[in-house]
Order: sequence, then structure tokens, then C-alpha cells
Amino acid sequence: MSAVHGVEQAGVPTMTTTFERVQGILGKKYSLAAETITPESTLESLGLDSLDLIELLFDVEDEFQIRIPQDGGSGLKTATVQDIVDSIQSLVSPETPVEPAGGQ
Amino acid sequence: MRRVVVTGLGVISPLGNDPDSLFSRLMAGESGIREVTTEEPKGRDTNVAGSVAFDPALYFPASQRLDHLDRVSQFSLAAAATAVKDAAIEITDDLKPRSGVSFGTGMGASNALEETFAQLLLRDPDRVKPLTVLKVMNNASAAHIAIQHSLGGPDLTYSCACSSSSVSIGEACRQIRHGYADVMIAGGAEAPLTFGFFKAWEAMHILAVPDPSDPAASCRPFARNRSGLVLGEGAAMVVLEEREMAIRRGARVYAEIVGYGSSNDHSHITKPSVDGQAHAMELALADAGLTPADVDYVNAHGTGTALNDVTETRAIKRVFGDRAYRVPVSSTKSMHGHLLGGAGALELVISLLAMHYKGVPPTAHLEVSDPECDLDYVPGRGRSDQDVRCVMSNSFAFGGTNAVLIARRA
Repeated sequence: MSAVHGVEQAGVPTMTTTFERVQGILGKKYSLAAETITPESTLESLGLDSLDLIELLFDVEDEFQIRIPQDGGSGLKTATVQDIVDSIQSLVSPETPVEPAGGQ
Repeated sequence: MRRVVVTGLGVISPLGNDPDSLFSRLMAGESGIREVTTEEPKGRDTNVAGSVAFDPALYFPASQRLDHLDRVSQFSLAAAATAVKDAAIEITDDLKPRSGVSFGTGMGASNALEETFAQLLLRDPDRVKPLTVLKVMNNASAAHIAIQHSLGGPDLTYSCACSSSSVSIGEACRQIRHGYADVMIAGGAEAPLTFGFFKAWEAMHILAVPDPSDPAASCRPFARNRSGLVLGEGAAMVVLEEREMAIRRGARVYAEIVGYGSSNDHSHITKPSVDGQAHAMELALADAGLTPADVDYVNAHGTGTALNDVTETRAIKRVFGDRAYRVPVSSTKSMHGHLLGGAGALELVISLLAMHYKGVPPTAHLEVSDPECDLDYVPGRGRSDQDVRCVMSNSFAFGGTNAVLIARRA
């Protein structure tokens, strides 16, 4: 899961953004080049079918240590990567920094 | 009447994953039964079983998500692909809506089911893998076969314990005979070698006591020192075609399926009945328009339990009369174990190969005869150069469903 770990810039550890971590999950699982995954990409345009979307929710739950509610999967097909990022941020409590799961 | 022929065979078996090596090993009396170890929460558990050596990479492209397929579905897809290739049949656009799948399994996705409960009860009580439902549903194998081979006709899964795949083949023949389909990929599979399923069978007290000096000889059908059945895993699929179509396309024809009989004991959930078994054999003979004198080989259900082998012997005597003592009857379960829902299909394939190779496979490990089992069970090694023109394959089940198939050299 190297793609979702913290990256170093000018010797200072920086926190990976939620977007970058979602980008990492998608890139790894579906063999997509990072640059093809933008905040505006819809999941459908990235080639994910309905079963892939169900698996994505599972992987997102793992990565961010959250539980997506039962109705949280509706409308996913037309959702953009940014929509996913927003949903994740709303499920992660504001006080808890969004750290990579089991990362450090 | 429309007639049904077999044009392709595919097996994943404890004695190899191609029909030819399976049959030659059976003829030599070789056993595929061995010690197997399952992992369980408190350690390891050792049993004897007919286990399969299976490399998915030989059957699936690298892009195939194997974690979406239970072991039973992997076996089924591999056996179906082998059978379709063997039949050299092309499912053209015209043929798609006229082609289907008929599948049998007793216990379905045992491995995925057990893994799901282990995950839920032992590790993370909150959730299970996302596509669990699609993996454990009993029609998963049949559905994937239809998708892989573009089969738009009937797609049916039968579950009646140990006769599941004889039923699936018999019912597939009816689909073709009655005009609902021209091609059916039919058969069944089982992958029951998990810790929980071993324990469940153990609790029934009908598993064979492992032979300490030779685990491979633990299953001894019709022998006085038999001690029960040995579980096996694997799959067998056949391509069934409407006869005229198969002839028109110049297909190699293994045999014609001429008779199918299906009955229920309607008496006890496990205890077999002579009446029920004899009834199924009689129905199959009547369906085929044959008499016992026409049958050259019987592949017995022959589980190796005390009750089955005596009951089946009596039922064969009831149906065959004096002929019972002259027709060779063997239980190949002595060598591949009991594939439960996959057993009927595997044993039909073996019976077809008996005609194809003109050989009668043996009952292995039959050294101590039982006065109550006094037929010709072909002990030890197979008999070559036999003019086998017509075969009967018996399958009986918990729940009482009996299914008998009869095939004739084409």
C-alpha cells in the first residue's frame, strides 16, 4: 500500500490527502495510472462496474477505518472521485486526523 | 423422438484432471485417497479424503478474479471448459438461445461459507467480504458457466445431496429430448474438504476409519471390513447434444444417454430403501426400452457404508434377477472417494469411458468378501478387452432421491 503512505517533501513528512489515498486504492486495485484519476473522474468513466463499486466501498472502509451506511452506496455509479472523498471526510470525525490505516 | 448424445467430457478429480489418465489409473486400481490436513481454530486436523491437485492458472486467465469464485465454482468452470474443448463445439449466435447448463451440487460453496463464518465469529464480527452472496449462492457455478460459454437457454441447479449431478444430467437430457434445448452442459461438483464439513460428516458416524498402514485403502465398498465412506472433491461436466445436430456437425460421439430414472425412498432421511433404489433402476430401464440383459456394466453408488452396500446389492438383485450375478458391478468410490453432489457426474463419465476404452474399472481394496454382498464387484484391478456396449450408473442420496442413468455406445 505504498501509494497511500505519507510522502516526504524537502525532508519534511507531509500528510497524504484523502484524495491521494482514494487515488491509491483505485490505482492499485484496477491498475489505473495515477494521472487518469482526477477529482472530477466519475467511477463509471474509470471503468468500474457495479460489483467493483461494492468492493471499493469495502476497501475504503478498511483504509479509513470507517463504516459506510447501508444507503451509502446509492448513486455511486455517477459519483466522482471527489464525491467519494467528501463522503469519507463526513464519516471521519473532525477531531481525528485522517491517518492511513495501519500505516505508521 | 429427439435423442441425446455425449460429445465432450471434462473432469477435475482426485485421480487427475483429464478423463484419460483418470480411467487408466482406475483400471490399475490406483487410489486417489490420501491424508489431508485442514486448519481449524485450535490447530490442525487430519482426515483421509479424495483430494484434487488443482492449479487454477491452467484454467483461468490472469485477469480472472479467483477470489470471486469458491473452490467448487473453480472446479466446475474448469471441468466445463475441458468438456466444451473436448466436444470442439462452437456456440454460434444461432445456438446461444438453444444451449444451457444443468448443474448439481449437494453442499455448494463450502469453503466460502466456512470462511465467512470464521471471519464473522472469530475475527471481525462486523462485516464479511463484499461479494460473499455471489460466491456462496448454489447457482454460482452454473451462472458462471453460462456467462463464460454464452449459453442463453435453461440454466438450472439441482441440489439433492449425493444424486444431485445424476439428476442434473438426467434432467438436461429431458430438456433436449423435449425440445427446449439442443445443447446442454451438464454435470456437477463438490468441494467439501473443510474443517467444519469434516466435523459434520464425522458426527454422522459414517466416515471410514482411516487405514493406518495404507490411508489410500480406507474406502472398501462391498468388503466385509468396510467401515464407511471417504469424502472426495472435484467436478465432472459433459456436453450433451441433440443427436441429429451432433451427427450433422461431425462431432465425435462418446455415447447416447438412453435412460433416466428418478425416484424417492419416501421412508427415512438417511436409511436407503431397496424399493426406492429398484424403482429408479426399473424406471431408467423402461425409459431406455432395455432389459437387464442389455446392461454390460453397473457403476454402483457403492459408498462403502454398511447399509448402502447391502441395500444396493439387494436392489440390483431385485431388478436384474439371475443376471445380477453375471453383470460386473463396481464402486469406483473406492479410489476417488465420494464426491457427494459431484459423484453422479464423475461416475457417469467413468461409465462412458468404460465403453470408450472397452474396460471395466474395479472395486479397489475388496479383499475380504461379505456374504451379504455376493455379486461380481470386479475386485482389485480392472478388466480390459471387454465388449461394454451399455452401462448403468447409480446414485442414491440422503433425503432418499435416487437417480439412475443408462448410456449406450453410439
